[in-house]
Amino acid sequence: MSILPTAAKQEIPAFFSQDDSCPQCKSHRYLNSSMKLLVGPCYDKMCEGCVHRIFDAGPAPCPECGRILRKNEFYQQVFEDVTVENEVRIRARMATAYNKRQTDFKTLKDYNDYLEMVEDLTMKLLSGEDTDLIEEIIEKYKRENKALIESNLTKQQREEKIQRMILNQEKSKRQQMREEYLKQLAEEEREKTEAKNSLINALATSDKSAKEIIKTRTVQLKKSSLSNRNSNRRAQLEIEALLKSATEGLDDDDEEMAEDVDDGPFDPSESPYEPAKITLREKYDDPTPVFRQGNLAAAGVTREIHYRYLLEGAMAGLFELPLADKTDEASN
Amino acid sequence: MSSEKPPLFKQTSQYRDWRFTPESLAQQRAANNKKGIERVLQGLREEAQVDDDPSMSETRINEAKNNLLTPSEELELVDYYLQMVHVYALTYKRNGLLKPDAVNNVKATAINFIKRFYIHNVVFDYPPKSIMLTCFYLATKVENAFVKIDDFIRPLQSAEMKRGGKAQTKNEDILDLEFVVIQSLQFELAAHHPYRPAYGFYLDMQAYIEDKGLLKEVYEKTQSYIDQSLYTDLVFFYQPSQIALGAFKLAAKDKDLDIDPYLTQCFEARLLESLYTILDDIQDIVSNRNPTAVDKAREIDRKLILCRNPEKNPNSKLYKKKVADQGEVPYQSDSE
Repeated sequence: MSILPTAAKQEIPAFFSQDDSCPQCKSHRYLNSSMKLLVGPCYDKMCEGCVHRIFDAGPAPCPECGRILRKNEFYQQVFEDVTVENEVRIRARMATAYNKRQTDFKTLKDYNDYLEMVEDLTMKLLSGEDTDLIEEIIEKYKRENKALIESNLTKQQREEKIQRMILNQEKSKRQQMREEYLKQLAEEEREKTEAKNSLINALATSDKSAKEIIKTRTVQLKKSSLSNRNSNRRAQLEIEALLKSATEGLDDDDEEMAEDVDDGPFDPSESPYEPAKITLREKYDDPTPVFRQGNLAAAGVTREIHYRYLLEGAMAGLFELPLADKTDEASN
Repeated sequence: MSSEKPPLFKQTSQYRDWRFTPESLAQQRAANNKKGIERVLQGLREEAQVDDDPSMSETRINEAKNNLLTPSEELELVDYYLQMVHVYALTYKRNGLLKPDAVNNVKATAINFIKRFYIHNVVFDYPPKSIMLTCFYLATKVENAFVKIDDFIRPLQSAEMKRGGKAQTKNEDILDLEFVVIQSLQFELAAHHPYRPAYGFYLDMQAYIEDKGLLKEVYEKTQSYIDQSLYTDLVFFYQPSQIALGAFKLAAKDKDLDIDPYLTQCFEARLLESLYTILDDIQDIVSNRNPTAVDKAREIDRKLILCRNPEKNPNSKLYKKKVADQGEVPYQSDSE
């Protein structure tokens, strides 16, 4: 997997300006609108043509700074400012080597120390001092933590995969629902016209009274719309089953994560506690209906809130067993 | 949706930190008593050095040793002052300082605070008379029925004057202990009482029990049983809803009403089995409660005067010296 944030991978449009010109062949965007400016690891720019010309035969020195470069090291620029480009690349590189997570540490402090250490190294790399020394440190770290880095990397890839899968699922679900809806609309329309036509036919040909015919027709119409709704419901269930099978198609070790994700969107208005098992009734013989008091009513206490509060109190912990005798409890 | 949500009542501090078994409670009280006695003797010895009168202090220590309270005597004394909470609550209600609908909750919370306080402290250090007043004062705040401190002590002073003495209680007597009490309560000031569940049960039962008039009588009687249950240790063993239902059963028995049909129709038989044992235990404890008589309390109080810990007694020489030296006597709970 490429780690560099190239424009193609991130689906971010490459940096583009009307004033671009290749410093090597001096061709200008004004004259050559399809010109592609690439940037090498030394942050010198040249157009695609020049890259081919200079590096097709193998590694060659950069015409600007003399550093030995390869063709595959060139990529499209994302940011206008090359220092930003540089920093993004360095940070991406650091992130692949130093990809430990908080769960890999015993305490939060350890994790924070680690993050600070990484940031220090990054800043030194950015400032350009002691680059060789830092590179050595990074290489050493990579060698020592090879296994962990790899496992974290696969974890990360898996998460990305699942994220993508969820997005796709949602997309297809929406699409399917829309199609279903359109189909249903068309179906209803068709049925309506059909019923109308047959009604007119019946009125024209049958010798029963008009009232009677209309009455039987309305009943039939109701029935058919009911069956229609049932079939819609069935379609809905089918979609759900389809989606379910899609999630089941994940790899074995993805399953656990898929379950986590499957909880659905977070709803802040939902109670974080187990709902109480109570039945509210229409009428109570209540000696003190406090929800009728002005101040409480003004504060939003309704009849339902009042009774819910009382009944939930009655059912709270009704079947909770008392503490069993434990020795450590006593010494506490 | 995952259904792994915790029930609300398990999130209360009462459920988390204030549940015990009868055995662990007894053990803790015995241990506190033992440590308390050691502190009393230590305090008396320290005071002897302040006093410069070895012969007097020797007799003081011997007197204290002869009058030490046992854990059960401590409990009896506390129980007497729990009953005083009820008396004071009625007084404040009569004076219009407590709203009638707040009385039950203030009383129950005050009693609960006192009981919690003496799980971590002993009467040698903090006599229940003053702790009771502070807990009551605190409970009015907690239950949103605040009484100003000047209003709060006025009935106390007038009672003292009626008895022929002069007004002794001062604002500081109550306020100085307030932080000590809050620390002992581990800053957990929410207390849940059986009154609300009982009300809920009364409403819920209406759909199952024909005789509405009788049910109302039973509910009113239930309240008095709940009043009784507050004085017991039940609150440390069972949930408020269970205590409320136990009180309901006691009241129903008195009025010849069978509430079992309600239970069997509403709940699964499997669950009811364990509930019935719990309810039986609650009914036993409530009906076997034995309130401390005034004479007995007075006798224990008299003994307590001789075996108080001078280190915590604001009137002792040792306390005054320590305050002069260190600025204050730090609070230290038994369970730490």
